[in-house]
Amino acid sequence: MAKITITIDGKPIQTEEGQTILEVCRKNNIYIPTLCYHPVLEPYGACRLCTVEVTRHGWPSLHTACTHPAWDGLVVRTNTAEVRAVRKTLMELFLSRTPNVPLIQEMAAEYGVTEPSYPVEDPNEKCILCGLCVRVCNDMVKAHVLNFSSRGVDRKVGPPFMEKTRECIGCGACTIVCPTGAIEIVLQKNAIYAAKPLGPTAAIYVPSLQAVPRVPVIDTDSCIRFRQRDRSNGEIEDACGACQMLCEANAIDFTQQDEILELNVGAIVVATGFQMWDSTKLSQYSYGKSPNIITALEFERLSNAAGPTGGQILTADGVKPERVAIIHCVGSRDKNPNAHEYCSRICCMYSLKQAHLVRDKTHAEVYEFYMDMRAFGKGYEEFYERVQEEGVVMVRGRGAEVQVLPSGKLRVTGEDANLGKLVAVDVDMVVLSSAIEPPADAQKIAQLFGLSRTPDGWFAEAHPKLKPVETNTDGVFLAGAAQGPKDVPDTVAHAGAAASMAVALLNRGEVTISPQVAVVDEKFCSACKTCLNICPYAAISFIVEDNVARVNEALCKGCGTCVATCPAGAITGKHFTDDQIMAQIEGLFRVPELVEA
Amino acid sequence: MADLHRADVLVSCRHGRTPELVTALRDEIERRGLAEEIRVVETGCSGFCSVGPVITVRPEGHFYASVQPADVPELVEETLVKGRFVQRLAYKEAAGRKAITRYEDLPFYAKQMRIVLRNCGMIDPRSIDEYIAVGGYEALGKVLTSMTPDEVIAEIKKSGLRGRGGAGFHAGRKWEATRRAKGDIKYVIANGDEGDPGAFMDRALMEGDPHAIIEGMIIASYAVGSHQGYIYVRDEYPLAVENLTLAIQAAREYGLLGEDILGSGHSFDIRIVRGAGAFVCGESSALMQSLEGKVGEPRAKHVHATDRGLFDRPSCLNNVETLANVPQIILNGADWFASIGTERSKGTKAFCLVGKVRNPGLIEVPMGMTLKQIVNDIGGGPPKFRKVKAVQTGGPSGGCIPASMLDIPVDYESLTEAGSMMGSGGMIVLDDRTCMVDISRYFLEFLKEESCGKCAPCREGIKRMLEILVAMTNGTAKAGDLERLETLAKTVQTASLCGLGKSAPNPVLSTIRYFREEYEQHIKDGYCASGACRELTAYVIVDEKCKGCGLCIKVCPQEGISGEQKQPHYIDQAVCIKCGACYDVCRLDAIKIVPKAAVSLGGNGGNGHGTPAATPAKDKPGAAKGKA
Repeated sequence: MAKITITIDGKPIQTEEGQTILEVCRKNNIYIPTLCYHPVLEPYGACRLCTVEVTRHGWPSLHTACTHPAWDGLVVRTNTAEVRAVRKTLMELFLSRTPNVPLIQEMAAEYGVTEPSYPVEDPNEKCILCGLCVRVCNDMVKAHVLNFSSRGVDRKVGPPFMEKTRECIGCGACTIVCPTGAIEIVLQKNAIYAAKPLGPTAAIYVPSLQAVPRVPVIDTDSCIRFRQRDRSNGEIEDACGACQMLCEANAIDFTQQDEILELNVGAIVVATGFQMWDSTKLSQYSYGKSPNIITALEFERLSNAAGPTGGQILTADGVKPERVAIIHCVGSRDKNPNAHEYCSRICCMYSLKQAHLVRDKTHAEVYEFYMDMRAFGKGYEEFYERVQEEGVVMVRGRGAEVQVLPSGKLRVTGEDANLGKLVAVDVDMVVLSSAIEPPADAQKIAQLFGLSRTPDGWFAEAHPKLKPVETNTDGVFLAGAAQGPKDVPDTVAHAGAAASMAVALLNRGEVTISPQVAVVDEKFCSACKTCLNICPYAAISFIVEDNVARVNEALCKGCGTCVATCPAGAITGKHFTDDQIMAQIEGLFRVPELVEA
Repeated sequence: MADLHRADVLVSCRHGRTPELVTALRDEIERRGLAEEIRVVETGCSGFCSVGPVITVRPEGHFYASVQPADVPELVEETLVKGRFVQRLAYKEAAGRKAITRYEDLPFYAKQMRIVLRNCGMIDPRSIDEYIAVGGYEALGKVLTSMTPDEVIAEIKKSGLRGRGGAGFHAGRKWEATRRAKGDIKYVIANGDEGDPGAFMDRALMEGDPHAIIEGMIIASYAVGSHQGYIYVRDEYPLAVENLTLAIQAAREYGLLGEDILGSGHSFDIRIVRGAGAFVCGESSALMQSLEGKVGEPRAKHVHATDRGLFDRPSCLNNVETLANVPQIILNGADWFASIGTERSKGTKAFCLVGKVRNPGLIEVPMGMTLKQIVNDIGGGPPKFRKVKAVQTGGPSGGCIPASMLDIPVDYESLTEAGSMMGSGGMIVLDDRTCMVDISRYFLEFLKEESCGKCAPCREGIKRMLEILVAMTNGTAKAGDLERLETLAKTVQTASLCGLGKSAPNPVLSTIRYFREEYEQHIKDGYCASGACRELTAYVIVDEKCKGCGLCIKVCPQEGISGEQKQPHYIDQAVCIKCGACYDVCRLDAIKIVPKAAVSLGGNGGNGHGTPAATPAKDKPGAAKGKA
């Protein structure tokens, strides 16, 4: 592209052809006020606020910077008295139209306009008719829902005939571009936004903020481009694409697909973690019946600075709660068949942390319903003491029930074992310290790697004390909560151990296996496949071509289960044959011949 | 083909009661068995609206004004059978009451120079043969057989023809830019979206001589290298659409449109697109949006339409009047055209002369004629007892030129300099009974309705300007409002997106410029000297002047004036609706316009009869008078 020079406010600027004056100014940090401009949309020239003085061929005149091309040799002045006078009058007009929009008030104040200069028709009017929503809906989203209707002073923005339309995909793009907050998405019950304030993330987001490299992903279920493509059966191919337009690194690739990689590896660390137990399984906690009953994980999202409220702890109505109850052991330490008998181990400490956060951010009263406080570990007990000092009310006893009162308040009842009384407290928000449990597909993983599971469902380690990261399958290790509930320091330690074991294995370059392995005498194998299922190490495979079972000697631990099971007696344990054992027994019981002295 | 006839009866125009008149004429002629020898021709607008419908009988040239269906038997009997002139139906000049019998002698036409309108009212617009008979399509033949496109453009440039839509851009330069623009597909567009209130030049042309526009378009298409043309006509002009459609069909049948026109290898066709009547669609970029099927809203025009216009392709958009000039320029030569008019404005311009003149109508005058000549010589001056106060030109986007400046010549530069503009050719004569504040308000009301609403200064600014003006006309204006109005007007002028917004403040700014004291009177004194702002006005009778003739009593629609004969009369302020009928009818100047406030305060304006103290509302006026 050809290089051009334009002079802005006396400063010559070298840039490339094909931009508008406004774009050049933005790139060079020269401030020009705008209301109807958006970098991903075609310039529109409706608000006229970006009016600047442009001199070409010696003739100065006023033009809008957003629509005027930056031609070589232009002299632009962005802040002359005339320009300011025009902008001032425009702000008078805008402020008189929308007197109570903070952005307009702010911009008007820049030009000394603090009061509406003309009669205000509707003090609640927020729309300045900049057309951003109309353009984003038509040009970007291609949903064609919003448009202008009527003409001139009657101009309005809305869907056809101002009726609800199914064409609206609820993408919310219009609310994002609207500079004055004039468009609101009204949530319908049970709609995807019903979980407000724990609304969805943006369609493009960084899944794990701590990850290295920190790469965003596109959620194709909520991305406008993919949604429109799916809705239209591929007809609308190029909706939105705002991220692509704005990404300076040109890193957005809509054609990328999920891939399955096949790798040959020497060791595997199973670190499949946990999932949250479904809190609706115990109806007494009323989870799902009020947006203000949330799980501890949802609370984490709520108090996250990148969360929907920017880190503020607010109820669904958007106000700070005055009272909050935290209920421990929800789904843990519970003999109900829908719950887990084990202790989830992490809840006590995170519940204390959350109590601390609530106190710190909202000064609300906090009630902790706990059975007993499991604050083992370095500094944990001290933290427990500190939280108590912060004024958190500790109620010793399981929170028995949460009721949603007609007023919307929540009543938590339980037995306070210290007082020996039933207690009840009405709160604005309930946080359930829900159990953690093995992932739903843990059994699949167990089968894949030949892992066994303890009765509570977690993957079993090879030895509870001596081999905490190894499994019964050589070369497969466990890390973190896959093996059982763990907090972060324990998980990191456990994972470190697993990694070391894997590295130690790999570094050797070869493996030593026990010579005591099972072997199939293929002549006698009747191909019944009984051995395949009973092998705890998945060491036996069936060879279809030869119609026989065969033992992988590297996997076989020589346990002998298959030897004992094989109906045809085709499997023998090397160095553990019947003959050898019999010989040993015979040897054991042979009466020693007396040797004549 | 037209057969030979003994006489043609030209009836103009086709609006109002004319259809009945035509039927009556045909029936009468049929009844007398003259149908074979006499033809009744329905022509387009002859321009002389004030005396329409008019009938011209050719070849004699008899001219009859204001003919009613009832006059038909006598007219046929006398003129068509006996060959005599019916004096009763002659046009009588207002001043001398002198009867004028022949078209050629009419003073209304004598001062005009009809180039564009030469066929309007003269031929049947639905007959291509008649157009050809008067020299139509001869220019096209000349262009296609003996001129290169560059020669055509050179000729138009040399003629100095400028856009008749208002802005006055040189047509030749526009054609040249379109010809030079890159692109295989180019468009020629005729702008027939005439939206100014009170303007009907384009309408008359499209209805009365559609072939002239089509011929101009074909020549333009040849010059710029286009094969597709559009005529954008507002749907409120059904007859224009109809006549243009017929004309296009006829031209296609004659091989003047379509493939390989007249064997020249040049192909061109025209489509008519009907606009929905938005004023802003007369603006070129909005018009093209509308042509594309989108909402007619203007867009920023830093890249000219000649490079990227309709469907982003080079487009040459001309007003229909501009195009209708083209065949005449080709036929008679650029020098001929350039010899008419002023230094920088060549040729003639059609105007709709309306308002307070005796002969309102459609006129065409050479550029450079003064406003005074137009108003007085062609328009016949203001009606009796009235004085011209100002002339408003250029429609809602134009401005008012005060009576003191009526000597300025009508050309693009002079009008712009005077704060008005040529516009498409509206010309409204205002008399001393017109309030300039009220006129501004009227035009802004129109513009408020017609602003598309896209850009903020136009949408919000016009609305606020109108609010201030309404306050001025109803007496609620505050000190400083005039200054606010001026600041606002200047911002709307500089900051608006399109021509509509940029020119919308013209009526306000030009009237403030020439009639500032009138605005100040409205604000400071609550007084409207013309009486047009009813909420500021009271009419009172000046005792010394009133001779008690009773004329005002007769005209008062409210029966609000009373008084003995030969005694000063009295106006009951409680019932007066300020219609001004009494004021207009009083020959003695005995009725005076005073500020309403002055009356209710028992002020200085009248004879005391108007004061509330003396007005026991619905009591007998006589009794009230006695008390006074």
